Amino acid sequence: MVLSADEWAIVVLSLKVSGCAIAGALPVAFALAYLLARGRFPGKVVIDALVHLPLVLPPVVVGWVLLLAFAPAGPLGAPLGRYFGITLLFRWTGAALAAAVMALPLMVRSIRLSLDAIDPRLEAAARTLGAGRWSAFATITLPLARPGVLAALVLGFARSLGEFGATITFVSNVPGQTATLPLAIYSALQVPDQENTVWRLALISVLLSLCALIASEWLVRRSGKGPDVHVL
Amino acid sequence: MAFALIACASVAHAQTGGPLVLAAASLQESMNAAADAWARHHHPRPVLSFAGSSALARQIAAGGAADLFVSADEDWMDYCAKAGLIVPDTRRSFLGGALVLIGPADSRLRLTPAPHFALARALNGGKLAMADPDAVPAGLYGRQALQRLGVWDQVSGQVVRAENVRAALALVAHGAAPLGIVYATDALAEPRVRTVGVFPAGSHAPITYPVARLKASTNPDAEGFRRFLLSDEAKAIFRHYGFVAL
Repeated sequence: MVLSADEWAIVVLSLKVSGCAIAGALPVAFALAYLLARGRFPGKVVIDALVHLPLVLPPVVVGWVLLLAFAPAGPLGAPLGRYFGITLLFRWTGAALAAAVMALPLMVRSIRLSLDAIDPRLEAAARTLGAGRWSAFATITLPLARPGVLAALVLGFARSLGEFGATITFVSNVPGQTATLPLAIYSALQVPDQENTVWRLALISVLLSLCALIASEWLVRRSGKGPDVHVL
Repeated sequence: MAFALIACASVAHAQTGGPLVLAAASLQESMNAAADAWARHHHPRPVLSFAGSSALARQIAAGGAADLFVSADEDWMDYCAKAGLIVPDTRRSFLGGALVLIGPADSRLRLTPAPHFALARALNGGKLAMADPDAVPAGLYGRQALQRLGVWDQVSGQVVRAENVRAALALVAHGAAPLGIVYATDALAEPRVRTVGVFPAGSHAPITYPVARLKASTNPDAEGFRRFLLSDEAKAIFRHYGFVAL
């Protein structure tokens, strides 16, 4: 299968957007997962529900909310522009933000499942043996949560690659910036004689997503007696 | 999360030279051809973003820094004008369209849309493919035409509502519906369908495509490309794709 230069650019852009999306989302997802797995505080149910919202809301709603929030005059977009000189609209960074928000619930879920499976007494034991709070976390909890983190990365990546509704609503369909694989496929579908392009791009999507999902299963299996994080 | 994104955003501001043009999805082939022609005149090629006019108008209203907006109907341009987002004297309704009845390429049917024409009989129990007659402009025009011609009530139960006009076109092209209502431009773009008949211009509100420069525009080439879209050279391109140049 031979891809044209334009099609390669679309694939590379998609990988860049998805890669940055999960890199940015990972620390947030881990913090939220840790909070939800270990924290005991009032309003936890609300946080839990809020984290899962992007999973159940129509993606166009998420895109619209992002558009309102991160518009140059929006409540989050205005300070971002003023203090950091960053605009997200029509830019690939905006596409990455949309993908990150949509991937976040899946990532939180897989990390949380592996945190839930860790016996908190292991951490406590490490602390009785003299480890500090941070050291116990870094040497006991983090390594044990690794399969969940890896699964989160792979699943989040696959989810980001497929993101369409929030992206086109939030940051439009700008070639080279926000026109990732799904948007390029949508555009090609609007033109009757572009079906070869549609086929090639669709096939790439299938291959990339399959690789990500197989990698995720493999990572979970490889961790042997690690927690059961099947999301499929 | 935004902060982590900043880390990878080092090249986010690399401006590509051409103006950013937000255009209705139905203009994809013709605007690309116009942009190519403009680039042949040694200008940077405009960057074209195609989506529904509604989504684009909302992005403009949110303060998106684009240069030109080409809408598939006057309503969404009015929406931008009311919000003070376009430069008023740059607005031009520069393209017109016709509404046609289509069938598969091998159909022999001849049917001229006229008052009380035999649409129900021609459907013969099959489906009539059109864009959503309650929301999408092509569907709204289509329903208006069928209502004025007095046949809507007979066929409304057989209408399949497509998400956009190109999806309605695909339904006919793939044999899922024996007849469909699309723009003349769509019928011309798809070799697997043929135009069965043209709706009389008076049977629906005028179909026009307005262009305007946005107040937020900063690209020095934006006004030049807008003027080019109104030139005889561009008109010939749009006519080639089935538009009426106004």
